[in-house]
Amino acid sequence: MGLHIAPDRSAEAPIIEFREVGKSYGVFKVLDQLSFSVKPGEHLALIGPSGSGKTTILRILMTLETVTSGNVFINGVSLNREQKNGRDIPASEAHLRKMRADIGMVFQHFNLFPHKTALQNVALAPVLTGRMSKAEAKDRAIQLLDKVGLANKADEYPSRLSGGQKQRVAIARALALQPKIMLLDEITSALDPELVEEVLNVITDLRNETDMTMLLVTHEMGFAKDFADRVLFFEQGKIVEDGPPSELFHSPHHERTKSFLRKVIAAGQRV
Amino acid sequence: MQNLDATIGYGRFILSGALATVELTIFSCALALLMAFLAGLALLSRSYSIRAVARIYVEFFRGTSIFVQLFAAYFVLPLVGISLTPVQAGVLAIGLNGGAYGSEVVRAGIQAVGRDQTEASIALNLTRWQAMWWVILPQAVVVMLPSFGNLAIEIMKATAVASLVTVSELTFQAQMVRSQTGETAIPFLLILVTYLVIASVLTALVRLLERRFSRGTAGA
Repeated sequence: MGLHIAPDRSAEAPIIEFREVGKSYGVFKVLDQLSFSVKPGEHLALIGPSGSGKTTILRILMTLETVTSGNVFINGVSLNREQKNGRDIPASEAHLRKMRADIGMVFQHFNLFPHKTALQNVALAPVLTGRMSKAEAKDRAIQLLDKVGLANKADEYPSRLSGGQKQRVAIARALALQPKIMLLDEITSALDPELVEEVLNVITDLRNETDMTMLLVTHEMGFAKDFADRVLFFEQGKIVEDGPPSELFHSPHHERTKSFLRKVIAAGQRV
Repeated sequence: MQNLDATIGYGRFILSGALATVELTIFSCALALLMAFLAGLALLSRSYSIRAVARIYVEFFRGTSIFVQLFAAYFVLPLVGISLTPVQAGVLAIGLNGGAYGSEVVRAGIQAVGRDQTEASIALNLTRWQAMWWVILPQAVVVMLPSFGNLAIEIMKATAVASLVTVSELTFQAQMVRSQTGETAIPFLLILVTYLVIASVLTALVRLLERRFSRGTAGA
């Protein structure tokens, strides 16, 4: 017989936790005592006006930025501090590399390696990080390029690809390291409008087919609504509102969320 | 036609000088390239002391005369027990001097590669050295090559100073011909052309490398 118990997400330990994180550049506070956590497999959309700190959150998770105060935990392990000989010290390069292993990122401007073909862009890191042999990495890269619809562009250099194709190669490249957390930083903002859809379709497939935890920073409210299980609305480095997309987009509680959405709709976006 | 015979005679003499110049150029360029990368990378080090050592090397060799450096290598080093042949002293001085200029080319070339490439490398969990070797340097070299071409020609021309410590390279041989035959126009015209030929070969070589390294970056 056996009793089937549905997994209870609320009881699961968070995969990401920000605990009173502050980040400033000089006197400018980007993040202000920010606390939130993300459960494994959650699809989070981070929205808000420019400069509200959304991208900084992704960059801190990718260890491209350090925090000014507070702590970030991945699976309960501190990202920015480590324990060595019983002392609490800033994370070393070795610690950061271990933590990065579970995290992948796709950038607004693709950041492809221009001197490498699409295939080489995808296969490089799995080989260099010692996860796969060259032959395995190549096979895997071909599979991934096929998945993003670019198997026929494997041997092209990025300069010969359209923006949408470049971004799909970048997604394949990030997937090659099989991350548990995927960070998507305004991945369609640099694209011509007619190329946005092909990239978003790839992301929708990933969302539906994998159990990756995904954090999406975006200005595409329509897509955020379809993509996310949960939306965080940021302003001035703080979370103003946190809820499911149906609630946040259709009956927001906060006046600032309302006025932000009004502006977005006025600018012609569907919500 | 006695003049022609004489010209052919010291033509051979000058050819041997040309070979010495080529030899000096190759070894000096090799040393300069090595020093350029060592010092160039050191100038970008996270460690203050490594940066300081590199900066002192660069400023010392750029800021003092290559003649003095050569004389120091040939006449002063023996005082501390290091005796060099004239060619070794020449290569050491010219190579270290060229390396000092080259290090700034390396530094600037590396810095010309966008920060986005470093960030992508971090996101792909490459080590700093992997990122440098596989991502940054291949792109930086494309930027560096034209300046390296200039530098190689500068080094080739600077090899003439080695004549001052009796290396029988082109300029030295031309002086010999002049002092022994009294001819001035022909020997100097000959070495002028020879320098030009060597420079053209260097230029062609660098062009070849530029094409080889610019794959992907220029729509190739």
